[in-house]
Amino acid sequence: MGERLLTIKDLSTHFFTHAGVVKAVNGVSFTLDRGETIGIVGESGSGKTVAAMSLMRLIPDPPGKVVEGSLMLGDRDLRTISDDEMRGVRGNDIAMIFQDPMTSLNPVMKVGKQIAEAITLHQDKGKREAWQMAAKLLARVGIPDADKRVDQYPFEFSGGMRQRAMIAMAISCNPDVLIADEPTTALDVTIQAQIIDVVREMQAQFDSGVILITHDLGVIAEISDKVMVMYGGRTVEYGPVDEIFYNAHHPYTWGLLASLPRLDESEKTRLTPILGQPPNLITLPAGCPFTARCPYRREECRDKWPAHEAVGPDHGVHCWIPVEERVAIRAGLPHFKEPAA
Amino acid sequence: MPDWDQQPPEEREVYGSAWVTEADGVDGRRTAEVVDEVIEEQTKPLGLWADTWRRLKRNHLALVGLGIIIVFISVGTVETVFYQMHWHVRASAQAEAADAPGYLAPYDPNETNYDLSPSGLGSPPSWSHPFGTDYLGRDVFSRTLVATRVAMLVGIIAVAIALTLGLLLGPVSGYYGGAVDSVIMRAADIFFAFPYILFVLLIMSVLGQGFQNVFIAIGVLGWATFARVVRGQILSVKSMEFVEAARAQGAGDLRIIFRHVLPNSMAPVYVAVAMAIGGAIATEAALSYLGIGIQPPNSSWGLMISDSVDYLAAGNWWWLLFPSLALVTTVFGFISFGNGLRDATDPKLKE
Amino acid sequence: MIAYIIRRLLQLVIVLFGVTLITFGMLKLVPGDPAVALAGKNATPEKIAFVRHERGLDRPFYVQYIRYVERLVHGDLGESLYTARPVAEMIREAAPVTIQLAVAAVLIELLGIPLGVFSALRQYSFWDTTLTTAALILWGIPVFVLGYFAMYIFGLKLDWLPIGGVGPTVLGIIPSTWESWQTLILPALTLGVIEIAYISYMQRASMLEVSRSDFIRTARAKGLTERKVIWGHGFKNAVIPVMTIAGIDLGALIGGAIITETVFNRPGIGLLIYQGINQRDVAVIAGGVLFATFFFVFANLLVDLGYAWVDPRVRLED
Repeated sequence: MGERLLTIKDLSTHFFTHAGVVKAVNGVSFTLDRGETIGIVGESGSGKTVAAMSLMRLIPDPPGKVVEGSLMLGDRDLRTISDDEMRGVRGNDIAMIFQDPMTSLNPVMKVGKQIAEAITLHQDKGKREAWQMAAKLLARVGIPDADKRVDQYPFEFSGGMRQRAMIAMAISCNPDVLIADEPTTALDVTIQAQIIDVVREMQAQFDSGVILITHDLGVIAEISDKVMVMYGGRTVEYGPVDEIFYNAHHPYTWGLLASLPRLDESEKTRLTPILGQPPNLITLPAGCPFTARCPYRREECRDKWPAHEAVGPDHGVHCWIPVEERVAIRAGLPHFKEPAA
Repeated sequence: MPDWDQQPPEEREVYGSAWVTEADGVDGRRTAEVVDEVIEEQTKPLGLWADTWRRLKRNHLALVGLGIIIVFISVGTVETVFYQMHWHVRASAQAEAADAPGYLAPYDPNETNYDLSPSGLGSPPSWSHPFGTDYLGRDVFSRTLVATRVAMLVGIIAVAIALTLGLLLGPVSGYYGGAVDSVIMRAADIFFAFPYILFVLLIMSVLGQGFQNVFIAIGVLGWATFARVVRGQILSVKSMEFVEAARAQGAGDLRIIFRHVLPNSMAPVYVAVAMAIGGAIATEAALSYLGIGIQPPNSSWGLMISDSVDYLAAGNWWWLLFPSLALVTTVFGFISFGNGLRDATDPKLKE
Repeated sequence: MIAYIIRRLLQLVIVLFGVTLITFGMLKLVPGDPAVALAGKNATPEKIAFVRHERGLDRPFYVQYIRYVERLVHGDLGESLYTARPVAEMIREAAPVTIQLAVAAVLIELLGIPLGVFSALRQYSFWDTTLTTAALILWGIPVFVLGYFAMYIFGLKLDWLPIGGVGPTVLGIIPSTWESWQTLILPALTLGVIEIAYISYMQRASMLEVSRSDFIRTARAKGLTERKVIWGHGFKNAVIPVMTIAGIDLGALIGGAIITETVFNRPGIGLLIYQGINQRDVAVIAGGVLFATFFFVFANLLVDLGYAWVDPRVRLED
């Protein structure tokens, strides 16, 4: 892995609404190196998108606010630099791909213009040159007839092509960090794999660091180097991708894995949902947010947030269950009975 | 060892302590129960209304509008009830009725010669006549109050007619689609092609002036608005899963429309109702002002305005001002409340 | 675009068919025998019968309707029941006065767009609250009420402007003298201010909705300045729906213009209809309504074509 790109420490983002303070992100930390892909996984409302938007400083204020933490991009703190400087970072140093390609592109502006706009903004390029680059970028993300397509409007593109165009836009200025927020969720299953391939290819070509946000562990398995599991605005577990899949330590991670279909298992294994609903982020307990849904909870869980516990190389977890007990419980779960080699 | 849903949490040993059972969410119940509860939770109209009210409360203009509507309806209802009684009394014993108005108005609205000024043009506002008197010496305050009745009846009856037609045609159009839909929607296009007030005017000129005809003209012309709103809602709700589910259970079309689809698509209709009542009141005023709506001796704000303007050059501003204020305030109340309701029920604006 | 135009023209034909059918039906529904009215006072039964036959009033409904449309196509709207003058001629004289007012009001109405954008960009600020409240109040004021207040204050009390009438024009609708301009100011402002209120409210709502959309977030994520985000990406998307709303609202504007004329005593279509009401002259009323409706329908068509031209989703569709 290359140089350190991002160092996020104790990021907390809250929304101050009429109904109360929504604690969307609470003390999240992670790092990202050049060429590395980190997958942030969790259900909707777990704070993964808010964490990414905080990084881009795109949290609508009011009601949202980054209340704590440092967001270092190299040696610049994204929390303290000026708005002007931040605009220079967006699209240039950090670029983002959004979930819904149907609504994320301006419907009344030509696709080429939307890409060229970013190029002329961050690079010393004329309009015509930027336009030609836009066409090249479209070709590069695998859009046929790019010379013609660049002159079209988003509604003339299919969903998959729009997401490719979004990627072209995001990589147009060769960003150090590429954030992909559920880039495949809104797409057909057949298109999903293609889009993931494009992201991977682009990462290889530009040697960027990628933050992949998803609720789909399958996507994570395919592309990530390391994984951060979020629940109720907190990191409950993080580690290298193999560790998370085969040596998970948090009950929520087990739950996620149990709800994932596995082709390498016999038909005996059932897909099991995690009972209950995502937590109300306004009335979060002081302790572990997963308490209410956790089948193995105990008294200390709700009122105190467990300290970080290292359970392997670069693998950490926040959980009150003693490590021996965790291993014992896990051994009994059908999903973990025979870890695939 | 327990797995994820075979064994309810309460049967596991770790759930010994008291706080767990009274606490959050799913304790001690099986998946099916929880799922049922979730479905009820999501479809419960009460929750929807509570949420709407919570968001409406924050919109001060809408609350002002709601206040105006409540006052307007109260005054209008009292006037309507007592109007009947009064009418009755007057028919039997005219003399007694004259000095006993018996409702909110301090004076008989049709009694002339109160404080007639020397010029014969009525007197400006005073303590005994807060809104002044008109050219016949009638108390403008009493007349303005009594006219609330006409405004309220027009608003409610005309919109009820329009709503009924819209609720019959809109669902049919949206649910069945195809040729029926085309015919109904092209008819709506034709109705929308007329500048509204002129269409009403044309119908009134054929039907002839009068109380009932105002209801009919405004009501019958309003169907297209409601039909479009309801149709749009039906189209968006039609393909949702719970409708499919109802159909799969063998529910008939009518049952599906009126039991499942309509109740889930009413919010924009309520908004349209609020706006339409305001519109109907304004339309009635315009018709009466043009001399083709309500006729004397019924009193209406539009009629009072129409009466006043011939004397405007003589400086009788109070005579124009007060009925106008009543009219404008009422219409504002409905529009403001309607707008607030739309914002409060718009799923796009939910945070 | 061509497909869109064809579809829109087909729709126009259906609408015009419906409109003329309704107007014709209305004329038929008027109580009393039109032949008796047309034959004049003290007509002999023979004369009435002659008129009835000559006018085709003894023919079936659909034949009468076809003849009615034929006459409309030739610009014949019948005669006034009161003055016996051709209605078309009366409308030809009155129309420029109404069109002048309507055009002036549309030009004023356009101010609502920048006002709405201004309001939306400062959501919940003092100015936004003030403008929104003012818009909601004005929007609900019937045009004749506002007209009389304007007339009372600026015409009668302050004596700044004439309270009615019209002046000489060039090209039919452009005032050619200062006095002529003056007569236009009060009615146009009365009508225009109500329309500004409506349009600015709609523009504000539309702008706010667009500002929450995903592509605005995309534009910000690119690092564009707020100004470019708003004007380059937000504005066009927000103004397109308002154009449609304004097109539909033209009907209310024309209706408003017609009522405004009765307030300021402008001899346009409105005054014509008003006199028609007082004289129970249904032929004049129907003629005036039909003219205003045709005007609205065609103006709306132009707005829709303009809208289609601005919006690539409609322009490029085949």
